Amino acid sequence: MLSAQLALNAVALGAAYALVAIGFVLVLNATTAVNFAHGESVVAGGFAAVALTGLVAGIWPGAVPGIVLLPGVLLLTALLGLAIAGLAYLPIRDRPPVSVFVTTIAFGIIVANGLNAGFGAAPRTAPALLGGGTVELLGITASRQSLAIIATAAILIGALAFLLQRTQLGRRFRACAQDPEMARALGIRLTRITLLGFALGTAFAGAAGLLLAHQFFVTPSDGASLILKAYIAVVIGGWGSLRGAALGAFLIAVFEVAVASVSSQPMAEGLLYAAVLLVLLVRPEGIFGEPQRLRA
Amino acid sequence: MMAGILASVRANLSILLAGGALAVYALAFASSYDQRLLTISGIYVIMVLGYQFIFGHAGALSLAQGAFFGIGAYVTGILGSQFGAGFLATFPLSIAVAAGLALLVAFPVLRLASHYFALATLALSQLLLLIAVNWEPVTGGANGLPGVPPITIGDWRIARGTPLLVFVWVLAFAAILIARWQLNPRRVAMFTVMRESPLAVAAFGIDPGLLRLRAFLLSAAFGGAAGALFVHTNRVVSPETLGFGIMVTCLTMTVVGGRLRIPGAIIGALLLTHLPEWFRGLDEYYLVAVGVLLLAMVVFAPDGLASFIGRAPTGDRVNAPPTVRTSPEQRPSVGEPALAVQAVSKRYGGIQALDNVGLSINPGEIVGLIGANGAGKTTLANIVSGLDRPDSGTLFSRGLDLASTSPTAIARHGVARTFQTPQLPDMLTVRDAVETAAASATVRPDTDAILAGCHLSQNTDAGCGTLPHGMRRRVEIARALAGAPYLLVLDEPAAGLAPEEQLEIAAILRARAADGLALLVIDHNLDFLRPLATRLACLDGGCLIADGPVEAVLADPAVRDAYFGLVTP
Repeated sequence: MLSAQLALNAVALGAAYALVAIGFVLVLNATTAVNFAHGESVVAGGFAAVALTGLVAGIWPGAVPGIVLLPGVLLLTALLGLAIAGLAYLPIRDRPPVSVFVTTIAFGIIVANGLNAGFGAAPRTAPALLGGGTVELLGITASRQSLAIIATAAILIGALAFLLQRTQLGRRFRACAQDPEMARALGIRLTRITLLGFALGTAFAGAAGLLLAHQFFVTPSDGASLILKAYIAVVIGGWGSLRGAALGAFLIAVFEVAVASVSSQPMAEGLLYAAVLLVLLVRPEGIFGEPQRLRA
Repeated sequence: MMAGILASVRANLSILLAGGALAVYALAFASSYDQRLLTISGIYVIMVLGYQFIFGHAGALSLAQGAFFGIGAYVTGILGSQFGAGFLATFPLSIAVAAGLALLVAFPVLRLASHYFALATLALSQLLLLIAVNWEPVTGGANGLPGVPPITIGDWRIARGTPLLVFVWVLAFAAILIARWQLNPRRVAMFTVMRESPLAVAAFGIDPGLLRLRAFLLSAAFGGAAGALFVHTNRVVSPETLGFGIMVTCLTMTVVGGRLRIPGAIIGALLLTHLPEWFRGLDEYYLVAVGVLLLAMVVFAPDGLASFIGRAPTGDRVNAPPTVRTSPEQRPSVGEPALAVQAVSKRYGGIQALDNVGLSINPGEIVGLIGANGAGKTTLANIVSGLDRPDSGTLFSRGLDLASTSPTAIARHGVARTFQTPQLPDMLTVRDAVETAAASATVRPDTDAILAGCHLSQNTDAGCGTLPHGMRRRVEIARALAGAPYLLVLDEPAAGLAPEEQLEIAAILRARAADGLALLVIDHNLDFLRPLATRLACLDGGCLIADGPVEAVLADPAVRDAYFGLVTP
């Protein structure tokens, strides 16, 4: 019974982490750039939900369910993604990758400290997606919030899969991810695809922020651990693979929930980081490796 | 000597005047609060100097500099407050533990590609922060440990205020001297090659692993020293010293001041510790402004403020120690091949790039290797130079097993190569690039003669990034010759060159072959290769289909079919 609930918690956490990791890979695929502001984008999504709750509460009868905030959170964080692209990536896209690391770190600092100044450093919470409490399902008592997180993440990931697989825009996006030079030669406008990648990727991070901010609270300084988890998920799943990133995110969540259930949350995080350093010791190219090109 | 010092003083006059004025202000006019800020600035100078090694010179974004600072802080904090240990014990220990930690993680971390390196060092930082916050009995948890003693050396207790300020800045100047000693012109050139021409770093005879390790250890040692001084100043150690805030501060100081030059560390540290005082009106939005500043600097002034104060003409350069001409007995004796390739195969996924290839080259021979695009020519060059490994087969070169030797060791042994697209560091001058390659040669060559032989004597002080294509090709050949090779592999040396430039290159190569150099010249261009090569080999679909005298190979029907298609002359 207890283990079934733990498993559900792990899947819900994994679903939220999967959104973060998929968002990270969307930017990676659109640009090959590592977006260090991605963790802060999750935090920004959480605070967008907090702020929107205040706005919606005036016109909504009764307690505001978190799910009605989702469109607003997606929109606001998509705009944030466009800002990251326009200010921290596009002006320096021809420079070495380290430059983009630093500008996106700078952007993360701006977001985190802007939120800190606006909302204070204390943890805040967003409303549950469809109210609190539990429901009986297949004989087990399941948290309503966990089920709602899983459903929301599934819908978002399904919509993304449809966009990438079934639409012309999605095909263009995948073409750019595989071979930007060829895509450009075929008349695809790279800048548009870049902007799309940042907007979508950051919106996914923002949605994850909304999903995580009820149970786990949201604090302006959470960005570093979130970007690390996205990164670890991508290392596990293979650099640039959307499916791999989602799989990696679920593995991280299972690890965290399992370790935390027998010891503590800090221990779970600490062991996770130590495990990553150990994995890199054995396999410096990541678990599934990444394609290398050696042609001068 | 005296004249040199005078010239140096004159060149650095504005810096010396500014430093003097600052010293007078600090000692005579500054309030105790201002003195505290200047003390903190001096501590950050040490940290940023360390960070310049790994972030600036090695070009790797380490996010562990804050962790090394924090480790230094906690070693001094714990030993000082709990065990009453003195400065002479805790300070070296803080440095040693930080450097030891760097050494421990260097093996997994330094081999990583750039993004992995940044995130792995971030993981290390977060891990240490978690330990500091949660291991309460030892670290004092979130509140940290109070009661860190002031610096005492024997009976001499360094009080806060002027004494501590002077002590910290004396150490900061010591750190500057160490940084200057480590960053001699030759090593700066090596770092530049590693940063700007990563593909060719081994061809320069540079071991990038050792260079990165040195930079990482130095950054950790400087960071640990700074952290130790920081807790002596604050008298308390807390998780704040390990937090991302310190890392961000260090990164911002380095980017704002300048990541490659020592004055940049001083400018960045002084500026960023004083900015909060000058912008008090911003209140909690101050850190937002720091983010904006960092972003704007990277976009608009990536070389930092130090690039605006002119570079002092130090007169230093990558000096070649006494030159020795390659003596004839260094050449392989006739009969011993310079390269012996046997039954080498290499497969990439579904493509058989090389299939059972055998080839040998004798000293003084110029072997032309032809073949269509994708025939496996560059793969063979990569395998010979150690950039790639064969799946099977053997490659030997004067007793060296090329299949199991690092690219750097192969280059140092005397197997040089050039690349299809010349790989030269834009920021180095022609002479510095050639001298850097010469520095690692077993037999130091006469670089002036090499530059003259490649018709580059007029262009030695030009930056490699400013040269036209044809000249870049000759610089790459000069760079390859500077490693005193006995075998030189050239990957399409004539590509994109005008006919007269091709003739120039052919003349250079022929002259070296006459001296006994063995050459493997990969090219499509038969107008270039036909008169140059003494022998021709042809690859087709990974198989060596012909190897022999030039005209015989060109007349071979299989070669005609593979190389020219069905066209008959």
